Amino acid sequence: MSVNTNSLQLSDYLEKLPGTTFKRLYQQPSTAFAIFRRMLPHLAKTIVMAMLYIPTPFLISDLEIWVKPNSKRQKDQALATLRSLHIIQSAGPQSMTLTTNFRNSLRLALEGGGGHHSFGVPSTLPVPSDVDLALLDRYARKKWDDILHYVVNSVEYSDMREKDTSGGGPKASVKELLIAGRLVEKRSVATISITQAGFTFLLQEANSQVWTLLLLWLEAADAAGERAGMDSVDMLSFLFLLASLELGRGYSTDALTEPRRNMLPYLVDFGLIYIPPHDHQQYFPTRLATTLTSSESSLRSVSAGFLAASEGGISDAGDKNAIILETNFRVYAYTSSPLQIAVLALFCELKMRFRELVSGKLSRQSIRKAVDMEEASSPPVIVDQIRLWQLDTERMSVCPGFLFKDFESVREYEDMANFAGEIGVLKWRNDRKGMFFASKVEQIKDFMKNRRKAEQ
Amino acid sequence: MVRAVRGVLVECDPAIKSIIVNINSENNEYIIEDLDDSHLVVQENKVQQLKYLLDQRLKDTIMEPERDSDSDRDVKD
Repeated sequence: MSVNTNSLQLSDYLEKLPGTTFKRLYQQPSTAFAIFRRMLPHLAKTIVMAMLYIPTPFLISDLEIWVKPNSKRQKDQALATLRSLHIIQSAGPQSMTLTTNFRNSLRLALEGGGGHHSFGVPSTLPVPSDVDLALLDRYARKKWDDILHYVVNSVEYSDMREKDTSGGGPKASVKELLIAGRLVEKRSVATISITQAGFTFLLQEANSQVWTLLLLWLEAADAAGERAGMDSVDMLSFLFLLASLELGRGYSTDALTEPRRNMLPYLVDFGLIYIPPHDHQQYFPTRLATTLTSSESSLRSVSAGFLAASEGGISDAGDKNAIILETNFRVYAYTSSPLQIAVLALFCELKMRFRELVSGKLSRQSIRKAVDMEEASSPPVIVDQIRLWQLDTERMSVCPGFLFKDFESVREYEDMANFAGEIGVLKWRNDRKGMFFASKVEQIKDFMKNRRKAEQ
Repeated sequence: MVRAVRGVLVECDPAIKSIIVNINSENNEYIIEDLDDSHLVVQENKVQQLKYLLDQRLKDTIMEPERDSDSDRDVKD
């Protein structure tokens, strides 16, 4: 279990799940709806909506009339996505249907029918007077910043280290997840340091960060298996449910099944839900949870904070940060946020620290250190030089996948290579050698099977 | 019969490729398929090790420029 160079993403995780798991997931209207909302490109949504209330299988020839010839590529990609998420299935050689569970659940979600608790059970208890949106946002931000800070702080920058910020920090369970997911690495008993994956994680948008951590959690649950009484499919369903809840509203903990109630302490540690200290019968989803399946960003990420700082200087009243980067590679950052300073320390040599200002310098060595872990977004003049330094470490680009070779005929080779190109997984081809390299294999296999059948 | 071989596609310039081929020639444990001047397929679990060895080779050959840590020289061309 580890996060590779690119942090784990929801789509990759879902693609690896077997069809039976999807069947279970799609029993919940909230899950079907969340997948529909978050995971599908617009064209795929349109296709699903067209098929949702059609009683008979949908002919592929009908779809072809619908889609303009110059959008064939988008159409093929949309269908490939729908297939990989087990939303559509073949109903014959030239037609397709929605899978039963997905169709039923999405209909329920849209029409609001059924007696299911799929969208959460609101608590009937009064909301404690101190719980409001501001408190929930503050709470979620604090929790999440603690986690990020733990990831950043794992880098040695002894001269800048602040003792007073270490108070609290994430729970041991969260730290274990970060280590297990190799976002940070244990170098010795006492010291840990950020990894390349951790650096990528840090610069992601908050929403992706949350998913990265949640998926690590699901993988850990899978690894622990039934022994720990955790079922990753049910856990994923519950996460999708959380995403459909309303911010600022209390939901009943009594209405939850026991395994789901057991998940609550972890979700509290991640900052996804808030449980009032004196009232354990209701839980409040925070913005981190309710934005899980929407594209709007939740709390502002570290990189967005820097971007705003470097673009606008003084942007809004609450955020008077600015970074000045001189053409002699000196850096001045007007910030007192320990988190932002820690991130800066990842790729600058920080030299001086004043109240609300730190200054430092970019150098080959400091950038080298950062690009070893993957580099951030930076202002223009310096970028070229950073790129040059970065080239030092990027002498080869790599892409995992499969090499296809030993085809029986030129036709077979061409058909398959072209198909791989159409669904966007072709990375290299050589017609003379009759070989190609694709980043994914599943759909090409299906295509190959169908092609064989058609030939017989 | 068509085959799909799992591996990692490596793209690099020809000079780097020749170093990789050279590294491979010692034990023949990295390269699955030599594709063309700038592409190779490499064993998935050996990529990190290969990157490390490549870095070592290059460190031996490339001089690190002297460090000029405190000059205020403006490097705008």
